[in-house]
Amino acid sequence: MAERALDIAQAMPGARAERRGEWRRFAANPRALAGAVVLVALVASALLAPALAPYDPTEQRPGRVAEPPSAAHPMGTDNFGRDVLSRALWGGRVSQAIGLLSMAVSVVVGVVVGGLAGFYGRAVDGALMRLTETVVTFPTFFLLITLVAVFGARLPLLILAIGLTSWPITARVVRAEFLTLREREFVQAARALGAGGLRTMARHILPNVVPVIVVAATLRVAYVILVEAGLSYLGVGVPPPAASWGSMVAEGREYLFRAWWISFFPGLFIFLTVMTYNLVGDGLRDAFDPQRSAAAGAPRRMRA
Amino acid sequence: MRRYLIRRVAQLVPVLLGIALVTFLIVRLAPGDPAAMLVDTTLLSREELQRFRASLGLDAPWPVQFVSILKQLATGEIHSLRTGQPVLAMLAERLPITAVLLGGAIALSLLLGVPMGVLSARRPYSRLDNWLSIAALGGISLPGFWFGLVLMWVFAGILRVLPASGTGPATSLTYTVFDMAPYFVMPTIVLASGLLPPIMRYTRSSMLEALAQDYVRTARSKGLSESLVLYRHALRNALLPVVTVVGLLVPVLIGSTAVIESVFAMPGIGRLVVEAALNRDYPTIMTLNLLTAVAVLVSTLVVDLLYAVLDPRIELD
Repeated sequence: MAERALDIAQAMPGARAERRGEWRRFAANPRALAGAVVLVALVASALLAPALAPYDPTEQRPGRVAEPPSAAHPMGTDNFGRDVLSRALWGGRVSQAIGLLSMAVSVVVGVVVGGLAGFYGRAVDGALMRLTETVVTFPTFFLLITLVAVFGARLPLLILAIGLTSWPITARVVRAEFLTLREREFVQAARALGAGGLRTMARHILPNVVPVIVVAATLRVAYVILVEAGLSYLGVGVPPPAASWGSMVAEGREYLFRAWWISFFPGLFIFLTVMTYNLVGDGLRDAFDPQRSAAAGAPRRMRA
Repeated sequence: MRRYLIRRVAQLVPVLLGIALVTFLIVRLAPGDPAAMLVDTTLLSREELQRFRASLGLDAPWPVQFVSILKQLATGEIHSLRTGQPVLAMLAERLPITAVLLGGAIALSLLLGVPMGVLSARRPYSRLDNWLSIAALGGISLPGFWFGLVLMWVFAGILRVLPASGTGPATSLTYTVFDMAPYFVMPTIVLASGLLPPIMRYTRSSMLEALAQDYVRTARSKGLSESLVLYRHALRNALLPVVTVVGLLVPVLIGSTAVIESVFAMPGIGRLVVEAALNRDYPTIMTLNLLTAVAVLVSTLVVDLLYAVLDPRIELD
């Protein structure tokens, strides 16, 4: 599990270059495009799981336990005779939903904290950034394990906990944007015309920070899906009977040497989902900020 | 320098108190009686239960409990609710495993990640650079527990060249470091898979920046060999941000030991956190959370100091 924090933070300042042509640049980047296509397919397969899944994901067939992948069961069956593909498709709904909701919590908190710190500066900035540093230095994964283990696994708690421990990166990036934007003429003009702090932030600064937030949000989904998967693997994540990809990998661990497919395929879904969110996030960043483009096949001189 | 140190250490105090308070509140706000985890409370009379809870210090008001826990922490007299063992002794027993894993993963990531980053920066946007950057993205996206299981399946299940899990051969009671080493190979690789990609990416971007500097042009124009320019002139200056990345990723790395030690059944700190949390062993949970926070804060401080040592232009005061 890794942290994309540094990437986002480093890449962001100056992201509001020109706005036109972003989509063209995104579409011209084969890596980002491939990521987007696979990601759309993964999201669609989760949404359409009820229609796509060949079997009932919870139906146990005692006679067909731990069957290797075959035409009838492309990803085999698990230790209860359940179809692994159907379970993985349904599990995607759980993993993706938790990922998106946790990301939403994380981004909202990050934008509010970063925006206030960057806009008001001074004491507000000092206090909020100290808080941010504290959350960053803390091994939040241990805290999450503790939290979920003692309060019992509940979905709202899980989503809130993951969201509330993963906002600092967004906060830092948004703060940097607010810091530079608040000095710009159009913001000064709005203030001179009597616009209050909240109005200035919401109407004049925030719209210009949207690209940065979109990139941060995309990369955050990747991160929180990994966190949720890790927690669920340890048994302190999604409560049964719901099963996310992480819990499915854990279920198959015992049977690894006899029936590798039970763990392998759900894990592969996690990997592909996280990878494609990362590819799309990187692609968006490059599209919004062509100066820093690391796009494949785009020959470019070294940055001076 | 000394004033800086004193100020930094003083700043740690409120942070640590805050962390202690947060963990304390989490475990105390939790539903359920910790005493019920130890005994079947239905078998006790009300007086017996009260006496039992009092013996655990659970009947005192929260602030009193908090202060008493802090006192126990400060004196090291804190005991596991579960086993009655002193928590510090449990920690000391498990620390070497986690320390070896972390040290190994950091060393491996630096040894491979830095040269890969340099290689990438030598010809940016070349085919090699592209493949390395896709590989880095893949490494970042790997769920550690799954990667661990896949390695286990391949190397322990199919090829049978590495032991699947544990920290030493189960067949003998006395074994040497050499017997233990194979058990650490896969966990170290999995742990490094999260650290190596960021190191590589940071080395690359930092090298690109360094290579565009005047002193590199000067070195080249003097006719120095390319490797001399790359390693002596550019890399030396480019390594600084990489040090910071390692420092910043330490908390994440420590967090992942929970998952990795569980996958490979290694009795380290991360595994202890999971066990303590599942058992609601509050004193152990608090001690572990606090001490990891201390470890992280100290490592951040060391990185900042290292920064000043590596780059004389940086003044700490």
